[in-house]
Amino acid sequence: MSARPEWLKVRFSREAVGEVAGLMSRYGLNTVCREANCPNRGECCAKRTATFLILGGNCTRNCRFCNIACGAPEAVDPEEPENVARAARELGLRHVVVTSVTRDDLPDGGAAHFARTIEAIRAMLPDATVEVLIPDLKGDPASLDIVLAARPDVLNHNVETVEALYAAVRPQAKYERSLAVLRYCKDAAPDVLTKTGFMVGLGETDGQIERLLDDVRTAGCDLLTIGQYLPPTKAHAPLHRYVSPEEFDRYRDLALAKGFRYVASAPLARSSYRAQEALEAARRPE
Amino acid sequence: MKIEVTMPRMAPEMNSGVLCAWLKGEGDRVQKGEALFEVETEKVVLQVEAECGGTVARLLADEGDEVPVGGVVAVLEDER
Repeated sequence: MSARPEWLKVRFSREAVGEVAGLMSRYGLNTVCREANCPNRGECCAKRTATFLILGGNCTRNCRFCNIACGAPEAVDPEEPENVARAARELGLRHVVVTSVTRDDLPDGGAAHFARTIEAIRAMLPDATVEVLIPDLKGDPASLDIVLAARPDVLNHNVETVEALYAAVRPQAKYERSLAVLRYCKDAAPDVLTKTGFMVGLGETDGQIERLLDDVRTAGCDLLTIGQYLPPTKAHAPLHRYVSPEEFDRYRDLALAKGFRYVASAPLARSSYRAQEALEAARRPE
Repeated sequence: MKIEVTMPRMAPEMNSGVLCAWLKGEGDRVQKGEALFEVETEKVVLQVEAECGGTVARLLADEGDEVPVGGVVAVLEDER
């Protein structure tokens, strides 16, 4: 018997996961599903969805919650934008989600590559919607402008955790900078939906969560995801506790009362989990 | 026809997995896509789906066993 709570059981289809992995491999692409060892991989692959991870498989930051390798950055693949679009077309995606490792080594943080990827998807899949989950791009407005100029439907930047836990969980990031990214994007492109997400179970208090909700809402954020932190290995930030589904419901209700247009709050909710549903719900007339 | 069921690789760095529960016993019928056994990973418990339908002929691992990726955990008797 497992010590995991019942709500952390998920289905795994080797056939579905293998099929999507094979497709990505053919196009030389990474997915965050695989690199982050996402627990929803089985469900998403069975629906033939995946989240593309561009700009290489190595991250220049070493966040304590994340499974993506921290290492020497790779050369940017000029074919990657087109290959993302081709893979998205082959998967039949109607909503394409693209994220990246953090590239502090690049002057624009990879913004132009994000923009090229959005443009390639638009060219090949004109009816698809596009969501980007960007790193903080060092908070540089010029870099953010490059991404926004490519007109994603959704711009996501995760705050990941409450401010008090940044030193322990995101030591190379700054809470205020992440808020500033969300605020800048909403001000610069009000019609682009902004989105953020954070994890619970790292030791945050309800008071700290409420402050985070107020902060990101004040930054104009439209969409929100809240999920259970699950340590990828024993070397990562320790798990403080499992949060029950009922508590996630309470967080969702609290967030909705603060004015978010859509909130996914569940143990296995992740940034791009059912992202198309979130976009459609946010665009539905009230 | 006999089909061997093996421990899948669920993550790039995974070398083995702990089979924490059987959801079918010897003699039970299983359909393709039905959950056959559970594997505990660092993050969650994965319910591994059967890749073909058939009757469970033999279970070759006990609950709690750590099985290497690719190791045979059961034999199914295919319906074909």
